Amino acid sequence: MGFDEDTILLLYEITDVIIAGLSIGSVYALMAVGMTLVYGVTKAFNFAYGDFFNMGGYFAWILIFGLGFQFGGYLGVLVIVMPLMFAVGYGLEKLMVAPLRKRADWENKVMMLTLGLALFLTSLYTVVFGARMKSLPPIWDGVLEVGQLVFAYQDIMIFIMSLGGILLFGWLLNNTRLGMAVRAVAQNPIGAKIVGIPQERIFAATFAISTVMVGFGGILLSQKWFINPNSGSTIMVKAWVVTAFGGMGSIRGGLYAAFIIGMLEAFVGWMFGMSYSIIALFILLLATLTLRPQGLMGKGE
Amino acid sequence: MLKVSNLNTYYGESHVLRNVSVSVAQGEVVVMLGPNGHGKSTLLKSICGLVDQTEGRITYKDGDINGLATDKIVNLGITYIAENRELFPHMTVLENLKLGAYSKNARAHEKENLEWVFDLFPRLVDRKKQFASTMSGGEARMLAVARGLMSNADFLCVDEPSLGLQPSLRHEIFSIIRQINNQGKTVLLVEQNIPQIAQLADKIYVMEEGKISFEGNKDEALNNEHLKEVFLGM
Repeated sequence: MGFDEDTILLLYEITDVIIAGLSIGSVYALMAVGMTLVYGVTKAFNFAYGDFFNMGGYFAWILIFGLGFQFGGYLGVLVIVMPLMFAVGYGLEKLMVAPLRKRADWENKVMMLTLGLALFLTSLYTVVFGARMKSLPPIWDGVLEVGQLVFAYQDIMIFIMSLGGILLFGWLLNNTRLGMAVRAVAQNPIGAKIVGIPQERIFAATFAISTVMVGFGGILLSQKWFINPNSGSTIMVKAWVVTAFGGMGSIRGGLYAAFIIGMLEAFVGWMFGMSYSIIALFILLLATLTLRPQGLMGKGE
Repeated sequence: MLKVSNLNTYYGESHVLRNVSVSVAQGEVVVMLGPNGHGKSTLLKSICGLVDQTEGRITYKDGDINGLATDKIVNLGITYIAENRELFPHMTVLENLKLGAYSKNARAHEKENLEWVFDLFPRLVDRKKQFASTMSGGEARMLAVARGLMSNADFLCVDEPSLGLQPSLRHEIFSIIRQINNQGKTVLLVEQNIPQIAQLADKIYVMEEGKISFEGNKDEALNNEHLKEVFLGM
């Protein structure tokens, strides 16, 4: 054929980078959807969002290494951790966010409070788990070889599971009573009140669902990367960049943005080194905020 | 069926309703007339728990409902059909209607009520899959009324249903309200100055500057010089 060996090697490398971009992008998508959901429905910004990422990872770590749990592999872990994340999210919303909602300037108060919660959780993790990195075993070890191309099963699984998570979420949103109610509150809070939707409960449920999504993302990415008490803040920054780039409150924008940013990160990491990818993110964020402040698909003011 | 006694409602610093007392008996159509911005809508919203600061008694079927959350009130069988419709713009007509049956009381009757509202508003059948945001003003108004009916309520608070409608549609809406009433629903309706609506009414109230300035039946209203001139346009 017409390709020399160097070109073929380059193509392999690029394929690798694309796979990495897709698998990371899919997790970002999961987390961005969760973040934009809370903002779109409750108009509150949750600064502790990233720390629920660690929480998912740590809960799974406790189960697998702390308690030696091994029923049904990762499925068993998810069956236990996801409801736990839901309960944590629901409880925190009821306990911390809901009481503020009746006050003036509550949006800023919620931001400050969740920022405090984020600091608290980071310290709590440090005390409980220590500052050292933890990592989870891969869902599926090994590689898939197609000709000379090598794909890690782990990447493929991460991609499939986060995509599955997003699709399941989309299905729930469109086909269940709770999902309909969530959309109703997002589209018209007064209309939702009029038809008898208990708004407070929907706010709490939305917060809880987003906690589940980011916690799920935490379990997925902790196999590829590591978690430490501070990983939450990195994730927070990324989820925020994805959300702002996609357009606050726009789920579809968040999805596109997540894959674009996943790819950007993978390619910049490959070409210039991983430490440059965060710089690239901020350049993208600054450019977005300057040129198109409402984001890719945001509605603008 | 519904009794409002000495109701005072505030929006922040402004005192909107002043010692308002209104009563509606089962099966009646009660019409509240009055100029714009004088508190008619606020009264309906107060009844439905959509305003925070209300003082006074509101009883429905002998239970005090003032201070209850709107979802509880809807579940008791009261629905508010908003002047500005308050539909869910990015949902289909069918989804809007289904959400109308969100409350526990309505859920069990969702199917039969859906048939009923499609019977009343045949036009909505063809529009089932259309997004609410793409509907014309008249259709959106019909959808708002239909969504309200989906709540299985016995008591309807209807806020200016004719606002912005051309005369033929206005007439259609009023005739539907009459039909609904004939089927046993009680209606408290707010309008600015539509003479036709007076024909529907078992009782007429007039609200001016947050106070009830007139209370009487149709004939009394039609013979009242002040009303004739100001509200009935005769």
